[in-house]
Amino acid sequence: MWHNQAILTDADVVLNGRLDALKALVAETTQFCRENSLGDDAVAELNLVLEELFTNSIRHGGCAGMQNAVRIRLQLQDDGVHLEYSDRGVPYDPLRAPPPQLATPLEQRRLGGLGLHLVRQLVCDLEYRRDGNWNRITMRRPTESRRSV
Amino acid sequence: MIQLTQETKSGWCVVGVRGRADAEAADELENALRAALESHPKVAADLALLDYISSAGLRAVLQAARAAQAKNAEFAVCSLSPPVKKVFDMSGLHQILRIQGELPC
Repeated sequence: MWHNQAILTDADVVLNGRLDALKALVAETTQFCRENSLGDDAVAELNLVLEELFTNSIRHGGCAGMQNAVRIRLQLQDDGVHLEYSDRGVPYDPLRAPPPQLATPLEQRRLGGLGLHLVRQLVCDLEYRRDGNWNRITMRRPTESRRSV
Repeated sequence: MIQLTQETKSGWCVVGVRGRADAEAADELENALRAALESHPKVAADLALLDYISSAGLRAVLQAARAAQAKNAEFAVCSLSPPVKKVFDMSGLHQILRIQGELPC
C-alpha cells in the first residue's frame, strides 16, 4: 500500500542494566530523532525521560547488572512520539510514586521522586502494566504544535 | 561525558561544567563542587557550557548547595543554557537555589 508521506523509522533498543549503557541510549535516541526530522528539544526531552526511567530500573528496580534488562521502542505518529519502556525488574508502578514537595526548603528537601516528576512534565498518556516478567510503561511525547507549553 | 574546570576570580571559586550532567557523571560533578567548597567560602557553578542535566545532575547540585549551607559558604548556580534552565524550572529547584543569569565575578 502506498502512503503519501515520508518513510518513518522506529527505534527498538535493548540495554543491559549498567549505567554506562546510557551512552548507547543517547546515541539511539539521537539517531531516531534525526531520522524522523525531530529537533534538539525532542532529542533532549526523550533522552531525559528515558534516562530517568532507566536509572530508576537500575537503582530501585533490581535491574543492576542484568543482561538485556531494558527494552525501549520509539515510534513517531501524527500526535507525537509514542514510547514503550519495558524492564525485567521487580514489579513497580511508577505512576503510584508520590510527587516531590517542590517548595520544601533546601535542608528538608527529599532527594527522591525528582526523576519521575520530570518524566510526568514531559510526556502524557502514561500507563503502566505488568506483563509476565516485564514492567511496561507506555507514554507519548506530544508533537510540538499540540503542546500547551 | 562531563568536563570540569576550576579557577579563582575576584574572591570566587568558579567551577566550569561542560557536557552532560547525567547519572554517569553526577558523582564527578558533586565531588568537584564539594572539593571547591572545602577550600573556598564563595563558589559559583558556571553552567554556560552544560548541554544536558537529568535528576542525577540536579541532585549533585542540590547536595553541593546543602554542603555550602552547612558551612555558611556562598554557592551560586550561574549562566544556565536554555535546555538546562528548562529542567531546573521543571524541578522547582530554582525556588530554593541561588540561580543567576551571569557569574557574580
